[in-house]
Amino acid sequence: MIKRPTGIPRLLSCLAVAGLVIAFCTLADARRTTWSATVNPLKIAGTISSVDWNAYRSRFIDESGRVIDNANGNISHSEGQGYGLLLAFAAGDRPTFEKIWTFTRTELLIRDDGLAAWKWDPSAKPRVSDRNNASDGDILIAYALAKAGAAWKDARYTAAAQKIAKAIGKNNFGRSAGTMFLLPATKGFGTEDRPDGPVVNLSYWVFEAIPVLAALAPEYDWNGVWKNGLSLLQQATTGRARLPADWLSIRTRLQTQPAEGFAPEFGYNSLRIPLYLLRAGVTDLEWLRTLNQRWSVNNEGVAVINVVTGQVRDKLTDQGYAALSATLVCALDGQPIPGAFKMFEPKLYYPSTLYLLSMSLIAEKYPQCL
Amino acid sequence: MPVIRGTIAIAVASLGFAALAQQAGDGGHPAPTLAAATPSTLPPQVDESALRYFASQGDTRRVEAEIARLRALYPNWSPPTDLSQLPAGPITIKDPEVDRLWALYGENKIAEIRAAITERQASDPQWKPPADLLTALDTAEARRRLINASDNAQWRTVLSVATEAPSLLTCTNVDVLWRVAEAFAKTNQQNRTRDAYTYLLTNCTNSAERLGTLQKALTLLPEQQVTDLLRFERKGGSDPDDFSSIRDDLARRRVERASTDNKLTASADDLAVVERLAEGTSEPGNVILLGYYAYHHKNSEKALALFKTALDRDGGAKAAEGYALSLRDLNRFVEAEAFAYEWRDKAPENLKVYLDVATALLSQDPPPRLDPQVVARVVPVVTQQRFVDGAQALGWYSYNTGQFRTAREWFQRALSWKADDEPSAYGAALASQRLNDRVGFNAIVTQWRSRSQRIADVADGINRGRTPPPAQPSTLPSAAMTPAAPAPVVPPRTAYASSQATEPRVIYEERLPRADLGAPPAQPASRSGARRNCAVTRNPSSLSADAALTLGWCLMELNRPLEAVTAFDRAIKGGSDQTREEAAYGKTLAYLRKDLTAEAALAAAESPQTAQRRTELDATILAQRALAAFREGRYVEVILALGERSRIVPEQTDLMVIRGWSYYKLGRYDDAEKIFLAVQRTGYSDDANVGLNAVREAVRPSRQY
Repeated sequence: MIKRPTGIPRLLSCLAVAGLVIAFCTLADARRTTWSATVNPLKIAGTISSVDWNAYRSRFIDESGRVIDNANGNISHSEGQGYGLLLAFAAGDRPTFEKIWTFTRTELLIRDDGLAAWKWDPSAKPRVSDRNNASDGDILIAYALAKAGAAWKDARYTAAAQKIAKAIGKNNFGRSAGTMFLLPATKGFGTEDRPDGPVVNLSYWVFEAIPVLAALAPEYDWNGVWKNGLSLLQQATTGRARLPADWLSIRTRLQTQPAEGFAPEFGYNSLRIPLYLLRAGVTDLEWLRTLNQRWSVNNEGVAVINVVTGQVRDKLTDQGYAALSATLVCALDGQPIPGAFKMFEPKLYYPSTLYLLSMSLIAEKYPQCL
Repeated sequence: MPVIRGTIAIAVASLGFAALAQQAGDGGHPAPTLAAATPSTLPPQVDESALRYFASQGDTRRVEAEIARLRALYPNWSPPTDLSQLPAGPITIKDPEVDRLWALYGENKIAEIRAAITERQASDPQWKPPADLLTALDTAEARRRLINASDNAQWRTVLSVATEAPSLLTCTNVDVLWRVAEAFAKTNQQNRTRDAYTYLLTNCTNSAERLGTLQKALTLLPEQQVTDLLRFERKGGSDPDDFSSIRDDLARRRVERASTDNKLTASADDLAVVERLAEGTSEPGNVILLGYYAYHHKNSEKALALFKTALDRDGGAKAAEGYALSLRDLNRFVEAEAFAYEWRDKAPENLKVYLDVATALLSQDPPPRLDPQVVARVVPVVTQQRFVDGAQALGWYSYNTGQFRTAREWFQRALSWKADDEPSAYGAALASQRLNDRVGFNAIVTQWRSRSQRIADVADGINRGRTPPPAQPSTLPSAAMTPAAPAPVVPPRTAYASSQATEPRVIYEERLPRADLGAPPAQPASRSGARRNCAVTRNPSSLSADAALTLGWCLMELNRPLEAVTAFDRAIKGGSDQTREEAAYGKTLAYLRKDLTAEAALAAAESPQTAQRRTELDATILAQRALAAFREGRYVEVILALGERSRIVPEQTDLMVIRGWSYYKLGRYDDAEKIFLAVQRTGYSDDANVGLNAVREAVRPSRQY
C-alpha cells in the first residue's frame, strides 16, 4: 500500500522530555541492533501452500507478470512486484516468478540509476506514471531475486539482485549525524528536498532483506541502516501513543516528528513493521509487547491510529490485517492461530499479501501455532 | 535477426560510423554499435525467425499465419523464397511445445514464454530452448525496455540496452534507432546523433521513415547538421525522397530567428519560402512570422498589413500583439490603445502590449487631447497591474496638462508600488512643488536628496532662491528620465477619475494656460540640441551670453526654471539686444513656471519685447495672477485679472471655468451659469456640467427626504 502525502497538517507529537527517554531506550536495546544477534535467516521456500498461492496468483497477477493493486485503480508498483516475486518464491512457483520478473525488468527497471520506477498505471501514457523509485519496492525485488537466485541456482537472478542492491546503497542510503538511514525514494525526501527532510518511512526497512543484500553489496553500510532503523523505531515509539508515524522527519535526530504533509498516523505502512521484525528474527523489542497489548490483549485490533492523540481513525478488519496481530500474539505468547484464519479469502491485494507473508512466517518459524 | 547478424560489422567502418562503436562519453558506458544494415537495395529487415522455425517444422498452417502477420506489419516485405528448402539448421525433432512458444512469440507474449521455458526446464532439466527463440526473446525484451526507458527520458538506460542488444539497431527497428539517436542527443552527444541518422539514411530504404528521420533531426540537431543530412536525399528509384518540407522548415527557422532579432537579416530566398508557405494555407502562423520579421526590420506598415491578414485568419493573441506593436511603431497610439485594449485579457503578452501602448499614448509630447473614456479605462488596468511606468505616464500626463494634484497622486502611487523608483519620486517632487505643498515636497527631498541629484537640484532651487546650485556632476542621467517639457496646453480633462463626483475637485487644480510656457518659437534647433548637454549643472557665469541663453532654454526643457533664471540673467547681462530680449522672455517664462508672478512681471520689463511677446507674457502673467487668487479664495481679484486678460487675448475655456467657479463662490449664480453654459457649448461638457450642477444645486437646494 503506497500512501502519498495527504495534506493533513502536522501536529506536534513529541514531549519535551522525549530526548532523554530516547537516549535511555537506545542504550538499553543496543545489544540487539545488529543482525548477527538474530536467529537463522528465513528459508521461505515452500512455506505457502499451492491452494493459497493459486488463490492469490489468479486474483492479483496477470499473464504478463503484473501484480495488480486492485484497491488502487488496478495500478502496479515496485512494492507489489517485489511481494509477488517473494510469494512466488515462497510457493515454489518458478514460472510465475519468471513472469513477474519479466514484467518488472522490462516495465519498471528502466531508470538510469538501476532502480525501479515505482508506479505503473495501465491507464496512463507512458504507463510509468511516476518515475521516482520506492526503496522498499527495490529492496523487496532485490531480496526475492537474491533468495531465488541462490535457491534455484540461477545466476541471472543473483546478478540482477546484486545490481539493484548496489543501486540502493548508492542512491537511497543517507547519512546524517553519523547514522545511516534509508531514504524512501531518490527524489523528494532528502535534507535538501523539504524543510523537514530527511523524511523516512520505517516500514521501508525490510529487515530480513538487509543481511542478504549486504552480502551482495558489501561496500555499503547495511549494518548501519539496520541499526539505525531499530534505533529510530525505538525513538519514534516513545510518544504517548507509543506508535511511530508512517512518515517521520528525522531532521532533528534526537526528536523525530511526524513529517509535514502526511497524516500523523500509524497507518497502512507502519502496521507491517512488526511482521518485518518477526520475519527478521527480532522478537525481543519491548515495543512489540506494547503493540501486542494494544492489538490483542486490549482487543483493539489492527487499526489506523493518530500517533498524537492516540485516537483510532479506522479499524482494519480484513483477514490480512487480523493475521498481523495473530502472528504477533503467536510469536510472543505462543497463542494458536484461530481456525477462522486458516482459510485464505483474498479480496484486496495489500492485506492478502500481508496474510501470505504472515502465514509463510508461521509455517516456517511457528508451526506450533497452527 | 539471425539473418542480419552475420553481415553486420563490415559496413560500419565504411560508413564512417565507427565512432558509434567506441566508448560513449558518459560514465564509460560502451555506446551501442549500430548494426550495419544490408545494402540499401535490399528490402527492410524483418524478424523472420519464427517463420523460419515453422517452415523448418513443415508447419504450413503456421508458416502461412506468420507470413500474413509479417505482411501486415511490413507492407513492403516479401517472404523469403528459400523456405521450402528448409530445414536449413540442425535437424530438429518436431516439438509441439516449441511450436506453442513461437506462437506465443507471434502474439508478443514474452512473459508467458519465459514462464513456459522455466516450466519445461523444471520438468525436463536437460531441455534447452532453441537458441533462435532465446535471441528473439532477448531482442523483444530489449526493445520493450528501451522504448519504456525512452518514453520516460531514461537516456542512459536507452544507451545501455542498445549496447547490450545491437541486433535491435537495424532498419527493421527504425523507431528504436530514432530513440537511440535521441538518447545520444539528450546526453550531449550530438555528433553520435548525427551518425545514427547518417547510418539510417545510408541504409534504410523506406521513404516515410527517411523523411521522419530528418524531422527528428530538426528537433535535435543544429541546423547545419540537418542541412548536411539533406545530401542523402534520393532523387530517383521507385521510392524517391522528397525532403523539400525539411528545406522549407529550415528556411522558416532562419526567418523565425531573424524575425525577433533586428540584427539578423533573412535571405530573400528564405523569405520567399515563408511567403509561399503563408500563401498556400489559411493558417496564420507564417503570416505572423512574416509580420514580426517586418516589424523588427523597420517596416511596420507592412507588418501591420500582415498582422491584419493574420487576424483575419484567426491568428489570435500573437497576431493581435504584433498588430498593436506595429500601430505603436507607426505612432498611431490612439488606434493602438483602442485595439490593444480589446485584447488585453487574451494573454500576458497582450496585457503587456496594452500597458506599453497606453503608456506611450499618455507620454506623447505634447500631451494629446484624449477621450476621457480612454484615460478612464487605462486607469483601472494600470492600477490592477501595479504598472509603475503607466502610473508615471498618468502622472506626467496630468502634470503636463496642469493637473498637479492628480499628477502627485499618480507619482505617489507609483512610489507605493516601487519604493525605489527615482523618476516617480522626481515627478512627485515637481508636482508637490507646483502645488506649493512644502510639507510633501520636503518629505520627498529628505528621502531622496542623497540618491537623486536632480531632486536635490529642485530642492536647492527652492531653498536658495536665485543662488545657482554648486557645480557638480549629476549622479543620474537626468535627461533620459526627464518628463516631457511643458508644452502647449490642451485644455485637460480629468485624467484621474475622481470619486468625488459632486465636488468639482478638478477645478481646484491649477490648469495653467501654458501655451506660452517654456516652448517659445525662437531657437528650437539650438535648444533641442542643447537638451542633452545641460543635464549636468553648470555655473552659467563662466559662459558666453549666447551659451548661457542656450543653457537657459535647455534647463527650461528639463523643467529646472530657477536654474534657467540664473542662465537667462547671465545672458541679459552680456548679450546683444536680441539675446537680451530673448533672455528676458525666457526669464519671465521661468518665473511663470515657478508661479512667481510678481518676479515674472518684473523680468518681463527688463528688456523690451516684441508686441506679440509682450501680449503673450502679459496674458500669462494675468492668468497666473488669477489662478493664484483663485487658490487663495480671492474671487473678486480672479474676476478682475481675467477681465483685464480678456481685453488682450480671447479667454481660454479652462480659464472660463475658473471664472465660472469664482462667480459661483461669490454667489453670482446667474453669471456662473452663463459662463458654464458657454463652456458647455465649446465642448467641455464634463467640466461645464459639474459647474452647472453645482449652480443648480445652489439655486434649488437638495430635495428633502
